[in-house]
Amino acid sequence: MAMIELEGVARRFETGAGRVSALTDVDLRVDTGEFVVVLGPSGSGKTTLLNLIGALDSPTEGVARVAGRDLTQASRSELFEYRRESVSFVFQTFNLFPGLTALENVRFGADVAGVDDAPAVAERVLVDVGLGDRAAHFPAQLSGGEQQRVAIARALATGNEVLLADEPTGELDFQTGVQILELLRADAERGAAVLVVTHNREISRIADRVVELSGGRVVSDGPPPEGRKPVSDLHW
Amino acid sequence: MAHSKGLWLRWSWRDLRSRWLQVAAIALIIALGSGTYAGLSGYTQWRRQNYPASYQALNTHDIRVATTKGTTVPEGTLLGSLDQLEHPEWLAGAEERLIVPTQVDASAAGSTILVPGEIVGVDVTGGGPDIDQVHVMRGRAVDEGDITESRVVLDYHFAEHHGLPPTGELTLSGGRTVDYVGLGFTPDYFMVTTEQGSLLAEAGFAVMFAPLQTAQELAERPEQVNELVLTLREGVDLDAATAEVERWMDRVHPGLAAEVTPIDEERLYRLLLDDIDGDQKLFRIFALLILGGAAFAAFNLTGRIVEAQRREIGIGMSLGLSRWRIAVRPLLVGLQIALLGVVLGAGVGLVVGSLLSDLHESFLPLPVWEAPLQPGAFLSGIALGLGLVFAATVYPVWRAVRVDPVDAIATGPRSTRGSGVAPLLRRIPVPGSSIAQFPLRNVLRSPRRTALTAFGIAAAIAVLVAVIGMVDSFLSTIDKGEADILGPTPERVNVTLDFFYPTDAEQVQAISEVEGVAAAEPGLALGGSLVDGSEGDIDVFIQLIDFDNELWTPTPVEGSLETESPSVVISEKAAADLGVEPGDTVTLRHPRREGLVDYSFVESELPVSAIHPNPYRFMLYMDLDDAALMNLEGIVNTVAVEPEPGVSGDEMKRALFGRDGVAAVEPVADVAGTLEDAMEDALGFLDVVRGAVLVLALLIAFNSTSISADERAREHATMLAFGVRPRTVLLTEMGESLIIGVLATLLGIGLGRLIITWLVRVLLPSTMPDITVWIDVAPATYLTAAVMGVVAVSIAPLLTIRRLRRMDIPSALRVVE
Ligand SMILES: Nc1ncnc2c1ncn2[C@@H]1O[C@H](COP(=O)(O)OP(=O)(O)OP(=O)(O)O)[C@@H](O)[C@H]1O
Ligand SMILES: [Mg+2]
Repeated sequence: MAMIELEGVARRFETGAGRVSALTDVDLRVDTGEFVVVLGPSGSGKTTLLNLIGALDSPTEGVARVAGRDLTQASRSELFEYRRESVSFVFQTFNLFPGLTALENVRFGADVAGVDDAPAVAERVLVDVGLGDRAAHFPAQLSGGEQQRVAIARALATGNEVLLADEPTGELDFQTGVQILELLRADAERGAAVLVVTHNREISRIADRVVELSGGRVVSDGPPPEGRKPVSDLHW
Repeated sequence: MAHSKGLWLRWSWRDLRSRWLQVAAIALIIALGSGTYAGLSGYTQWRRQNYPASYQALNTHDIRVATTKGTTVPEGTLLGSLDQLEHPEWLAGAEERLIVPTQVDASAAGSTILVPGEIVGVDVTGGGPDIDQVHVMRGRAVDEGDITESRVVLDYHFAEHHGLPPTGELTLSGGRTVDYVGLGFTPDYFMVTTEQGSLLAEAGFAVMFAPLQTAQELAERPEQVNELVLTLREGVDLDAATAEVERWMDRVHPGLAAEVTPIDEERLYRLLLDDIDGDQKLFRIFALLILGGAAFAAFNLTGRIVEAQRREIGIGMSLGLSRWRIAVRPLLVGLQIALLGVVLGAGVGLVVGSLLSDLHESFLPLPVWEAPLQPGAFLSGIALGLGLVFAATVYPVWRAVRVDPVDAIATGPRSTRGSGVAPLLRRIPVPGSSIAQFPLRNVLRSPRRTALTAFGIAAAIAVLVAVIGMVDSFLSTIDKGEADILGPTPERVNVTLDFFYPTDAEQVQAISEVEGVAAAEPGLALGGSLVDGSEGDIDVFIQLIDFDNELWTPTPVEGSLETESPSVVISEKAAADLGVEPGDTVTLRHPRREGLVDYSFVESELPVSAIHPNPYRFMLYMDLDDAALMNLEGIVNTVAVEPEPGVSGDEMKRALFGRDGVAAVEPVADVAGTLEDAMEDALGFLDVVRGAVLVLALLIAFNSTSISADERAREHATMLAFGVRPRTVLLTEMGESLIIGVLATLLGIGLGRLIITWLVRVLLPSTMPDITVWIDVAPATYLTAAVMGVVAVSIAPLLTIRRLRRMDIPSALRVVE
């Protein structure tokens, strides 16, 4: 079943210095339970793509349907509802709330998504990402990798069916990176559509599908050339 | 290097522009503070220059010799014996005059204006008077040609208050009518004051300036006078001359009881001049509070600009830039804010100055009122504004450039290792969902910022509480005094007789027989003073009434009216100033009749029997039986009259007005009514204060939330990305503001109370020695303060709603710390 469907999507930015085409004529379909890696050099439009799917931004052309909703036609309040209940983000720059503890940051995700029994879910997910003992710490007291794991826990705690992760392993050492990817894979296995942006070609080996962007266009889309490998196979 | 200097300037200018709203808000706050300071100080300068100039312009007397109330001397007695002074050459001028009480009916179509007043008869020969000239505001002055025509000049303040035309007709006691040909006043009436004070006294007191002969004829005192005024040659010592005049009175006119007063001991003169200093102190406090609020706000903003630049500062330091070079940029921002502030402040100062000048001219018209620009006041306002903001910038910059580059570059909020209470406070568990936690968490996360914002708003609220609380306290004090004066007979009317009469005189007896009079109670009213060794004497108004009478007696708050020997009932204020309590003895200087019409002042040691609750220090009561002390047994000059039920004060006034022997009729309730009128007028002014404080609090709060909105753009974007609605984000910010607002309000109320206490304990005793003010801030005032503080502050985030709604979430999220 198609969870994400993009048809002829384009995103152009008008700037004082001219027009920038971040995405051009993008068609993309992601099913439930699929783990998709988006590859591409810097500036190729990866973050822009995630922003469109997450309804943080809207396309200048084309149609985007996610979780049965036409994002290009949806009203403001429908978009807010969509963001609360259908999609969750792991940002390139974490964006944790410095005023909340690790646990409270995770709990925030569960709270806004309206998860039943949010406190228990938050605690469980934080343990899942291996930070059970850092629950009461504030982001500033955590390392970059730990902060990234809290950010992932916050996204997982929403229990939403679409998970968008922008360079989730960018700041991490290999060991931690692998842990994170396992968590994301597990989410896909539970039935979520997971989209992971990276410019690390190695990571694409564990994906169900690899979408490559270049200059704002999809240049290839298909399973990894060597077939999908388990996470334990990774090394970089 | 020139190129690089340009870069620093451009860079700081860019910093400024990116926060122009906050910068404008701070500049405006500074402008309000420094401008108010400059305007108020300039106003004080004008008063300092114009008051003496006005006294000079009308050739005001230096020494006044006034015979005891109710007594007169033949014209020329005093003037003719001046050559017997030790140094007659000290005198520049001398004039005699007659001042007599009367009752004035100035009723115009539709309104009854029946008030006590006085006729001031002055020598108009040769264009006179030369001393204490009449400053004519409308119409014309009176001259020799008016002597036989009963023409007078009416007091301008009285006419203005009642909206009377510049010429017209007045009816006096005894049914005589006079024409007034102009409106004006002499230095003695720059402000109208009566025994009840100066607040709107002009409403109930009509002064007429007449040729001496006209006054004598109206008062039926031909060829009599009761005052001598003297001016001294330049360079003559006032105290020496006064002492000499006193000796001259004792030596040349031993039987004549008279008061010799140098100008600098006259009540109005002192009141006006002391007021300047008292007001200036008050102004300074309010202006400094506003400036203080401005300083906190400036400190807040610049501190946060510097905070936001910490990484840049760290990068600069790791690139090897000197601390000074790094500090230049934020310091330039501070300087630019300060400059903008004082430029706007100069404008505010001009507006405040011209408002005050106009207000002064309508409230206290003077013959000389010039209001030139006061560069000194402006310079000090500017210096204060500049200095405060600059200091507020230097401190955070100094702190920032002292840290190690590695700490400066480190990501994450700097409070990680945290200063002071922050880390402790952050551990406080907060109930509720994670979103509900944001407000309190944010407050606790940055206690310093919270405190700065709260202090700024608290300063504004303190001004509000202090100003309105003072008015409350005055009102409450007046109320208490009124309750005491009205007592069980609020309809009572006080009749002042034009002279001393035996109790059984026809004039006195007739009053109780007037239709509508239920009861009449004669008494005596005399001037005197309580002798105080250390502080100078306290003038008192001695009222002798029968302590057993049914109409009214003072209610003792301490002690008792039941005493055997002669004793006095004094005010709480007098008791405090003299350091006495019931049972102690005071020295009362009072007149004593010698022979038939002569009086002399004597001192009597008298026990204090009780303290009365009237706030006015000069009210002193004695039992009528004690009149023997004054050698005035069986003699009276006042009558308290209780009208029959259903007869109003106005009707009683009409009935008694113009009767033989009656000088003035005044319902006791009128005094209080006039004071309430004055307070009504003050309400407009209070609205201005309320408005200004609201604007100030809003500006500070807005500034703070606006900075927060910048700092938290990423957090807000994250919340929006998770589907949290803008209105929920706003609610979290409002919740935080609410907490700050409550803190600020509590702080402001506390500070306001402190100011009131200071005003009442320290300032008022020196500027208004005649009255006790009991601190009594109305609950409504606290409520206003609370509503302002809490509401202004919590709605401030609403001003950022647009920004939140239009936020470009992806850009806000992408920003790297
Ligand atoms: N708000 C914007 N205004 C103008 N241009 C933009 C904006 N956002 C993105 N772009 C441009 O769109 C292009 C794609 O940007 P995007 O952030 O999607 O790249 P990316 O693939 O995520 O790169 P990276 O790997 O460096 O994160 C870039 O050329 C970028 O400059
Ligand atoms: Mg990117």
